[in-house]
Amino acid sequence: MRTIKRSAVNNGQALEKAHLREHKKRAPAAGVKTSLLFWTMWLILPGIMILALAAFPSRAGAQDISEGEQLFTSKGCTACHTIGGGDLVGPDLAGVTTRTEKDWLSRWLKEPDKMLAEGDATATELFEKYNKVPMPNLGLTDSEVASLIAYFESLDSGGTTAPTSSAVTLPAGDADRGKAFFMGTTRFSKGGPACMACHSVAGIGALGGGNLGPDLTTSGYIVSETAFATFISAPITQTMSAVWKGTPLTEQEQADLYAFLSKASVAQREPSALTQIAMLSGGTAIVLIAFAQIWWRKRLAGVRRPMVERAHAKRGH
Amino acid sequence: MNIRAQVSMVFHLDKCIGCHTCSIACKNIWTDRKGTEYMWWNNVETKPGTGYPTRWEDQKKYKGGFEKKNGKLSLKLQGRTGALGNIFYNPNLPSMDDYYEPWTYDYGHLFDAPEGDDQPTARAISLVTGKVMDTIESGPNWDDDLGGSPVYAENDINLDELSEEEREQLSEVERMTFFYLPRICNHCANPGCVAACPAGALYKRGEDGIVLLSQEKCRAWRMCISGCPYKKTYFNWSTGKSEKCILCYPRIESGQPPACFHSCVGRIRYLGVLLYDADQIEKAASAEDADLVEAQRAMIQDPFDPAVIAAAKANGIPDNMITSAQKSPVYKFVKEWKIALPLHAEFRTLPMLFYVPPMMPVLAKSKDGIYEVDQSGSDGLAPLLSALDKARVPIKFMARLFSAGNTAIIEEVYRKLITVRIHRRSAEVKDVSQAELEKAYVSGKTNPEEADAIFRLTALPTYEERFVVPDMSRELAVEATVLPLANKQETGFGFRKKPERRF
Repeated sequence: MRTIKRSAVNNGQALEKAHLREHKKRAPAAGVKTSLLFWTMWLILPGIMILALAAFPSRAGAQDISEGEQLFTSKGCTACHTIGGGDLVGPDLAGVTTRTEKDWLSRWLKEPDKMLAEGDATATELFEKYNKVPMPNLGLTDSEVASLIAYFESLDSGGTTAPTSSAVTLPAGDADRGKAFFMGTTRFSKGGPACMACHSVAGIGALGGGNLGPDLTTSGYIVSETAFATFISAPITQTMSAVWKGTPLTEQEQADLYAFLSKASVAQREPSALTQIAMLSGGTAIVLIAFAQIWWRKRLAGVRRPMVERAHAKRGH
Repeated sequence: MNIRAQVSMVFHLDKCIGCHTCSIACKNIWTDRKGTEYMWWNNVETKPGTGYPTRWEDQKKYKGGFEKKNGKLSLKLQGRTGALGNIFYNPNLPSMDDYYEPWTYDYGHLFDAPEGDDQPTARAISLVTGKVMDTIESGPNWDDDLGGSPVYAENDINLDELSEEEREQLSEVERMTFFYLPRICNHCANPGCVAACPAGALYKRGEDGIVLLSQEKCRAWRMCISGCPYKKTYFNWSTGKSEKCILCYPRIESGQPPACFHSCVGRIRYLGVLLYDADQIEKAASAEDADLVEAQRAMIQDPFDPAVIAAAKANGIPDNMITSAQKSPVYKFVKEWKIALPLHAEFRTLPMLFYVPPMMPVLAKSKDGIYEVDQSGSDGLAPLLSALDKARVPIKFMARLFSAGNTAIIEEVYRKLITVRIHRRSAEVKDVSQAELEKAYVSGKTNPEEADAIFRLTALPTYEERFVVPDMSRELAVEATVLPLANKQETGFGFRKKPERRF
């Protein structure tokens, strides 16, 4: 019986192994193809790039400047920046080309996240100065970066006039209504999700809100009414823009939220809130464990041993 | 009429000698693997006794089987909400101590022990922890033959309804008695294990009604162990899956009876197909306690009735299964002669394993050194058989076991069995008067032909008469889904694909 079973298993294994061997045989053929393609690309691509550079020498033309101007609004830079209108979430960009090296600026526009991660001195300084709101990677191409810089340069040299930007004045906001919007007890009129789904803030109870987005207690997005309103009406970050594109906030809603968030902006979450969370979760755990012990108390009570002990006790052993 | 076929069984308890050969045959084939050491898919219990696992019949503790709630049949264990609440923490399980901690002996020590003043001994080693066990406190047949034991026999739950006097008589030195109750999975028509499984791993096989447990679907919730009132599903702690008696279906499929049947020394076991009406399952399982046995008998259909045959064919039951049902010894014992009864019908799972209750030895007492046989025996057979109301094990006890408390059914069975004895005595010893014989046929509700048939199938049956294994035509059946040749290599108990387990 035993041996029959074993041999059956062995046969099965042998079959499987045979299958595996076949797979392995096929695999190298596909590998050869990929590497061939890969190496050809390596040889051809730089060639094409060199040719392209030779044919079209880089030149800051009028076309670049107008393209840059367009990009400045279409890519959403205005959500955080003005030119000559003062700091919002991010710095005022007037004079940016005189303040910084061109190489640094073009790399900063291209891959700010990488530079921050590498710990670039200027980048870190900016990050600290602007309330730890990182400059997002906008996925610009090299030519787009060049156009933007050409636009900034023409602004700084007086060739182009900066777009007028004025401080936004929101209607009078009500912090209580703002809190209701934040927590979702009142729905936004256009149907947008409650802030609490992704964000947390001090002052909404010990458990706070979600932590997909940043904690808004000390957020750099709420430095001023103008900064907040400009950002929230056309948010630039990937998640925010996806969420709010179809369901923008009304001005009154923005005002209410700002009233609440600026009021909630305290230095940091109170330590009592942390204790509260610890107490709450610990307490719940203890209650649940106690409940389980009472409800399922008979689970491990055996039958035989108590029965034998009872019988012995009855006869006085 | 929704006719289905079921491979069913009869155990003739009068013939059981309690040798445990069936248990060993099963153990050697199926449960000699790691994690199954404690399992006995077939076990033999001494009655009165507490059995294995201890007091398995106590459904107040184990919550097995079904109950009638507001006139409707429902699982005693729990409903859907209960299953969800208890799913990680099933409270109604026997502990390891209630089964027993399996062990082996350190035989090696007998050979490698260093030279000393004493004989080396082989100490008991736990098969679960691998540690030395100082005292072995229980085993699967710990109360074997302990009929009058103040611990085990006295705690048999079936004695509950007996009067104090009757209970005391049972443990009196010269009155005490016991009989054996071999048990395997009953392959019920309304299985509690199947109903309790949250993963849907258990199923009743369509072609022959064998209840099986899928090793791939099992998710170790262990609800089947609570749900089965007979405690005949077991949890394998090594694979993390439950297992149960499979009625040796690989043997049945190749035309052999299951190993425990084949090896039975007393030849107490009979196997054959029953045709039953599945539309009657709910009605039969929700009958009043006293009517349960009769309702189950009514569910079983006559395999010679043309209407039944037509309905069976309409359900796709093959001709050879129907012919097999016509030759079935089980049908004769259960339905024709009505002398085989289901074990604990009050669990309402409609067990398809039936027992012929055992005759008990006559009453006798030793008085002043003289062995006195009670002379007030049964009609026509005193002093060889005692009267029913003076049976050594009270009829009430037998009724608790085999007829859900209905003593009338048990008495009827016994009267018929006694009549068969009187009939044979008149044939062999020829000391029974014709008048007494006629009276016996009337009281036993039988006739000479039937009495002869019962005698023949009880005492002189051939192998083919005891085991009418239907032709399962498995080669044809498997062709639909797998290649017969590949399948041939893969049969056997175990996994085709190795499951990932912690242990």
